[in-house]
Amino acid sequence: MSSQALHGGHKTPPQELPPEFQDQEESIKITGFWMFIVTDVLIFASLFATYAVFVNRIASGPTPAQVFQLNTALIETLILLTSSFTIGIAIWAMRQNRQRMVTWWMVLTVLLGMAFVSIELTEFAGDVAAGWGWHTSAFLSAFFLLVAAHGTHVTMGIIWAVALLFQLRKRGLTTVTRRKLYTFSLYWHFLDIMWVFIFTVVYLGGRLI
Amino acid sequence: MNGGDEQHERAIEPGFEFISPRFEEPKFPMHQVWGYAASLVLTFAALWMTVNRIMSPSVLLGVVLAMAVGQAALQLGVFMHVRESRGPAWHLVPLGLAFAIGIGLVGMSAWIMLFKSGVS
Repeated sequence: MSSQALHGGHKTPPQELPPEFQDQEESIKITGFWMFIVTDVLIFASLFATYAVFVNRIASGPTPAQVFQLNTALIETLILLTSSFTIGIAIWAMRQNRQRMVTWWMVLTVLLGMAFVSIELTEFAGDVAAGWGWHTSAFLSAFFLLVAAHGTHVTMGIIWAVALLFQLRKRGLTTVTRRKLYTFSLYWHFLDIMWVFIFTVVYLGGRLI
Repeated sequence: MNGGDEQHERAIEPGFEFISPRFEEPKFPMHQVWGYAASLVLTFAALWMTVNRIMSPSVLLGVVLAMAVGQAALQLGVFMHVRESRGPAWHLVPLGLAFAIGIGLVGMSAWIMLFKSGVS
């Protein structure tokens, strides 16, 4: 088999693929979900560009260093990194056909996501209470737009995950629920990547400019 | 349903080995544990360097950004199984393009704002 050499020995026959890839239709949906992630990368890039342009336009409002508390941002980062790990374990367990394990790691992921969103909302409420709303300056507009866009994604992810947990309970690990869990994990890890950039650019960057 | 198997069997052209699919299913999720540990180390290192200002702010910003890119690569490779695919992993091409456009968009926006004159 000449193709074996070209694959560097990694060629996998279709019958050995995980079910979500074995089924052609489900595998196409996974590729489609990658295309969604591609478009979301571009949306976040636009929001990051907006933030980079407006970060110094503070008008009569506060500077980034005055607004951001690094310890809150660090806790949010640790929660999201951990939730990225827990969903990673859930997908690993899915490949081992361990449904109970998938369920519990998913539940843990949802709880961490909820903790993240609550801390973020508390942070936003504190900013607004201090008189630093999103109409205060171009900097704060860009900040709330970027960070709330991410927070909205996480909230949508929580709703999606809860719906998936119900489906998992009712239908078990079928080809379809496996594909849905797989695309959910792609979404969740993608949000973690975007948060790492928010932590670096917005929160660490706020101390450096 | 079997139409795709034919496509799957098709050999990958020389020069396109980067889209050859790859699956890893170990008995213990060691990759995930290491990936998690590495992301924690990178996060705390970036935070420590920023709080202690170990170098000039503009250089430091570049360093922590590079560390963020490292974390993104870690998430894509370790957790998102970016090489997994039924046939050739064609999604790598638009994904790379999107990241290139994104970096260009953000980088050039930041760059043009360095010219203080004429922009307000």
